[in-house]
Amino acid sequence: MRKKRLILIGNGMAGLRTIEHILEENSSLYEITIFGSEPYTNYSRIMLSSVLQGDTTLDDITIHNWDWYERNQIKLYTNETVTDIHKEEKTIQTDKGREMHYDRLIIATGSNPFILPIPGNDKEGVMAFRTIEDCKKMMKASRVYKKAAVIGGGLLGLEAARGLLHLGMEVDVIHLSDCLMNNQLDQKAAKMLQRELEQQGMRFILEKETAEIFGDDRAQGIRFKDGSSIDSDLVVMAVGVKPNISLADKAGLTINKGIIVNDNLQTEDPSIYAVGECAEHNGMVYGLVKPLYEQGAILAQHICQKDTAGYQGSTISTQLKISGVDVFSVGEFHETPERKAIYFHDEITDTYKKIIFEEDKAVGAVLFGDTSASPKLLDTIVKQKYIPDHQKQDLLQPVDPSNSYGATLDKKEFVCTCNSVSKGEIIDNVLKNELKTVNEVKKCTQASSSCGGCKPVVHELLTYIYSDHFDEKMEDNRFCSCTDLTEDEIVTEIQTRGLSDIASIMRELNWKNTEGCSTCKPALEYYLEMIYPEYEQNQDTVYINEKMNALIKQDNTYSIIPQLYSGLVDLEQLEKIYQVVEKYQLSPIALTSGQRMVLNGIKKEDLTAVWADLNMPLHSVTANAIQSVKTSNSDHLCHCDKQPAIQISAQIEKQIEFIKTPYRIRIGVSACNHNSAGATSKDIGVIHMNNDTWEIYVGGSSGRHVRSGELLYVAQSEKETIEIILAFIQYYRQSANFAERTWQWIDRASIVHIREVLFDKDLLNLLTDKLKKDQMQRKQILLKN
Amino acid sequence: MTELMLKYFRDKQQKVQTEKVYNTQCPYCSMQCKMQLIEQKVVSRKKYKTIGQDNVTSEGRLCVKGMNAHQHALHHDRLKQPLLKVNGKFVPVSWEVALETIKEKFTQIQQEDGKDALSVYGSASITNEEAYLLGKFARVALQTKHIDYNGRLCMASAATGANQTFGMDRGFTNSIQEIPHTRCMILAGTNIAECQPTIMPYFEKAKENGAYIIAIDPRETSTTKLADLHLKNKPGTDIELANGLLKIIIENDLIDEAFIQERTDHFDEVKDYLSNLHLEDIADATGISISDMEQAATVFGREASGMIFTARGIEQQINGTDTVRAFLNILLATGKIGKPYSGYGAVTGQGNGQGAREHGQKADQLPGYRLIENSEHRKYIADVWGIDESCLPGKGVSAYEMFEKINEDAITSMMIMCSNPVISNPNANFVKRALKKLKFLVVVDLFLSETAQLADLVLPTTSYLEDEGTLTNVEGRVLLREASFPIQGDAKHDWKILCEIAHKLGKEAYFPFQSAEEIFEELRIASRGGKADYYGITYDRIKKEQGVLWPCPSPDEPSTTRLFENSFAHQDGKAKMAVVTKQSQSLKPKANKQYPLLLTTGRVMSHYLTGEQTRKSPSLAARNIEAYMEIHPDTAENFGIKENTLVKINSEKGWIIVRSKCSKTIRKDTIFVPFHWDENQNVNRLVGDQLDPYCRMPSFKISAVNIRPVNNV
Repeated sequence: MRKKRLILIGNGMAGLRTIEHILEENSSLYEITIFGSEPYTNYSRIMLSSVLQGDTTLDDITIHNWDWYERNQIKLYTNETVTDIHKEEKTIQTDKGREMHYDRLIIATGSNPFILPIPGNDKEGVMAFRTIEDCKKMMKASRVYKKAAVIGGGLLGLEAARGLLHLGMEVDVIHLSDCLMNNQLDQKAAKMLQRELEQQGMRFILEKETAEIFGDDRAQGIRFKDGSSIDSDLVVMAVGVKPNISLADKAGLTINKGIIVNDNLQTEDPSIYAVGECAEHNGMVYGLVKPLYEQGAILAQHICQKDTAGYQGSTISTQLKISGVDVFSVGEFHETPERKAIYFHDEITDTYKKIIFEEDKAVGAVLFGDTSASPKLLDTIVKQKYIPDHQKQDLLQPVDPSNSYGATLDKKEFVCTCNSVSKGEIIDNVLKNELKTVNEVKKCTQASSSCGGCKPVVHELLTYIYSDHFDEKMEDNRFCSCTDLTEDEIVTEIQTRGLSDIASIMRELNWKNTEGCSTCKPALEYYLEMIYPEYEQNQDTVYINEKMNALIKQDNTYSIIPQLYSGLVDLEQLEKIYQVVEKYQLSPIALTSGQRMVLNGIKKEDLTAVWADLNMPLHSVTANAIQSVKTSNSDHLCHCDKQPAIQISAQIEKQIEFIKTPYRIRIGVSACNHNSAGATSKDIGVIHMNNDTWEIYVGGSSGRHVRSGELLYVAQSEKETIEIILAFIQYYRQSANFAERTWQWIDRASIVHIREVLFDKDLLNLLTDKLKKDQMQRKQILLKN
Repeated sequence: MTELMLKYFRDKQQKVQTEKVYNTQCPYCSMQCKMQLIEQKVVSRKKYKTIGQDNVTSEGRLCVKGMNAHQHALHHDRLKQPLLKVNGKFVPVSWEVALETIKEKFTQIQQEDGKDALSVYGSASITNEEAYLLGKFARVALQTKHIDYNGRLCMASAATGANQTFGMDRGFTNSIQEIPHTRCMILAGTNIAECQPTIMPYFEKAKENGAYIIAIDPRETSTTKLADLHLKNKPGTDIELANGLLKIIIENDLIDEAFIQERTDHFDEVKDYLSNLHLEDIADATGISISDMEQAATVFGREASGMIFTARGIEQQINGTDTVRAFLNILLATGKIGKPYSGYGAVTGQGNGQGAREHGQKADQLPGYRLIENSEHRKYIADVWGIDESCLPGKGVSAYEMFEKINEDAITSMMIMCSNPVISNPNANFVKRALKKLKFLVVVDLFLSETAQLADLVLPTTSYLEDEGTLTNVEGRVLLREASFPIQGDAKHDWKILCEIAHKLGKEAYFPFQSAEEIFEELRIASRGGKADYYGITYDRIKKEQGVLWPCPSPDEPSTTRLFENSFAHQDGKAKMAVVTKQSQSLKPKANKQYPLLLTTGRVMSHYLTGEQTRKSPSLAARNIEAYMEIHPDTAENFGIKENTLVKINSEKGWIIVRSKCSKTIRKDTIFVPFHWDENQNVNRLVGDQLDPYCRMPSFKISAVNIRPVNNV
């Protein structure tokens, strides 16, 4: 399909915002051509006063550069003014003699500054303040001349005056009324503003009407109607604007103050739209940027054939852009019998706030000195929110984003339950990727991408993160100071590059410290062993078979631990142990918290003989392995049946012997609700409930940071209990970082995710099979060494 | 699809080799979100994931249930063969054996105990075609008057309330797209955030646009978080609250006189009644301060537009119908209905909660929302079905009452289609005992549910992935669910099962259908001229228009997006306001010395109805592994109950054991237990057997209970 041609007359902010929206709605619909009378690409007119005030530079106020037009295949003619519109032929004509057909036309010609019709208004040094050129002129003048006068004490006039002050000129502001910004401020705020600006060096001549500008070719001063006069080398007129509608008038479109448009910003010719300062909607012509942008959004939807609710007019708010002066005004600001006000006036901090209510809705406000409540106020007024009496004065205060629901959530709590996205994950991603909108967060983290219910919370979080109240830091994921890589990156690199020893890892991955440190060295050893089961390392254990293994102690003696499954020892076992201890004169037997006995102090030369004499399976001790499974067999106070618990613990232990884990795992199996095996403070704990179910807790810790385990699952049988626990251990092995405690891993992965995996029969089988294989392999390796 | 977060490559899963896509609709709630199942082949393994599809209602959104719906549909436990109970054990049999058994048993029972000894128990999870056919099956193939369905436990109060007030019952009187533009809404006993999550953006948008939201709920929920004002009233006091609000509205002259005059009846009676009430008494009874009531009433009255949404919270009461009417009184008095951005929404719970209540699954109803006791209606349907009107049975009893009939030996056999009544009915222990008494119980299901385990014969049916048909969503929009996934094992579609049984019973002439669309064609005619008129709707039209909002009496007429713009559906065109007194709640359970606490029930986001499907889904089970009791920490302390410990809850009807969960967000006189679990965690075992006088709704939302810690220490 051929693209239709869309011509935009006017290369300003309203027109270009409309084009941006059109590109978003449907970029394939129109071939776009733009004509602008100025020599520049679209720039921010409202920032000109900031340029004058030295807060920004001319280069920085460009909104769209040439590259942008090109990228979006938009043809821009600068310095070229459209002189005629031929509605019937659907063509336009320019001052350069160009003629062009359109399918749709948008008029965004803006407005012209109003120049007082007084003698002398054409003298050199008399000017308006609207364009980059005006801005340059003022800057130039300030280098030669000393005295400036600004006619008009409204928003633009004051900003211009502040700019001229900044440029080093003396500035008089002449204003017809006795109050500055009398269209936006009540008397009190106006006087406070005046005082503040006077302190900054501005001079005011109020209640004066200008009669003429005198001078030869160049302005030398202003004479007022009352006969008084001032000297001035530069006269800036800021007394308002008038919509630039001559082109539309000539084309025969209906005009009044502006070009008349309907709710879709359409003129009476359905192919022609008007937007911005030149358009008149419902008797209103808007001169501020926000309404123009709102119009642009609606126009774009309509011209792209999307449903729109139509433009319903805008609530006007103003904020003065003068550094050090905070002034905000919206809607109505005078009381009447129907309109009641709430005031706040603090003379100490020079703060003034006033909100006007009509019944239960705020209809206007003026803020001076502290405008932090303005976003909330504006929102309340624009949306006509219902505010009960007892909440009315809350509007005087800004919203504290750190009190929102989102901000007060715990970091590991899910914001998005559909996709299990925690608050912490969102914060990390927002900080890392500088996400600014809910949509960006959605794309990056999946939060609010499914049912959309948590969108408000994501929004609250974003507001909070970008507020002054936010001071949480992104987690430092660096592995150790020897490298900038994260632990995951290292593990990936080892595998993709096939690095098989510590030296080559450190070399290939540019370790800063070639020796490594106490953090990275054991971790790398562990990973190498997980990745290459055959990897040999300095063993601190001896393993020949399950009856012949031992732990090497620092004093070169050996320790062994007879495997007493479930912590039960029979007479025969005890007899053997007794004899060995006596015969080889071992140190006293140590009893462990895991219900085992450790035989210490075996001399190297005795080791083989001790094994032979004992002739019983031994509990193989490695650094990060599963410690013996504790049961409640020693609980004499309770008469519960301990057999099922004892059996479960023995079975689990047999299937995890010799297995390496990221960190030591403690397991406890309690035979009854008394929980005498401390199941809720173990990495994995089981309690046999009296209704014959098995509660499985995970992530508990009785270490220095005591932590209670979380209920993972309630199993209905012993078989199910064992399966879930074995799969849990294997999943921990395959996904946890080295030395990551189970509770840390659970917090990171989330208990919901772990359950999703374990409850999926296929995945559960995958994990338990893998554990079996790993155990076999490990036994063989141990044997080989 | 759960992706393992594995560290080591050798453990990681392989790349996808091929991909197949199946269009369908979510099997769960009334939003009926459109979605696609994507089947990916990875070496020898198949992986599945579900994604949302854009459409006018859910706009492509899915909640956690929808995203994981395939997990139960593809579960190992799906029934793939008919199962016959022999010596107390199920054995797989052929369909021929199954159908023969049915014929033999049904014939024998009808000979011994009479025609009405057979009963049919239906569902709001089945398609319109199947709901319609089930009604016809009961009346024509079995010739019994006993048919009712689980919607009786769900939408009956709202349906009856709307019928009595407006003369018609379509869930939403306005299109869902109007919600964002309303200025004020009352959410009465509805937890949409957890029950219909994908609808939330409409409400969130309304709030963004400045709407004032009032929520009524004894608990704080994800929904009440959205509200500007949360009225946390005592359970079961909704009528008082609604009356209080209307009293304030009338006394502050916030009513729409012209609307009341032209479009409603009985306003003066209502006004008189309310003028004799005292706000102080209402505040005492409800636990809501007068100033909060004034605030709610004033906003709703003053704002230019307003909507009221109700759901099970105020409806599952023994005076549910009256409660709904008390809220509708507010809409009528303020003239906020039949206009843009103003109207009523009964937030339907089940997937086809709307369609399944329109076409004859109810004991007193015939297709098109016709009445079985209306002779004109009987005549019309008898003609459509080609039977003599005198052969059409009369009115039966409601869902729960059928179990009472079983207990009285009036019913001796039942066929249950896609429902799990031993969990979902009140007084669930009694229901289970009743089912055990039956001479012959047939259950059609996807799984061997707690109900199916009691059956003599279980027939395997098909899921939302396999079974095509129409469903009518929360708005009243008729949607076509595509379903092309291969049928698993020997399972058959519900409609096919009905046709084959009818065939076996010699009624094949009335059940000649070869596709769901053929049934729909007959449904169109059967509903023609009825209140729920589907005549203008066809499969082609639904596909083209993304669903059609009923009533749609002719193929040339567009969807009816807004109801009651010019007149209501009563003969005289006027809406009927009703004097709703609190007397209707005199039989409600009250806290007493023996049972000092009030129990209320509800849903959690990741589960649905009796949990038979969602509990099988790993991703959903992972989010809530068991039922729980929400309780205020102060109350817990009074009863000696610690956080996260097992608690025994007793009522007059039974006991359950669930884990405690302390939360300051619930009233101190109230506990909450979700209803998605079976056996000893089935909260409906505690619920009493009193029913609403008009719609036979049980009192799920309020029971008197006692609690104590379970300790073997």
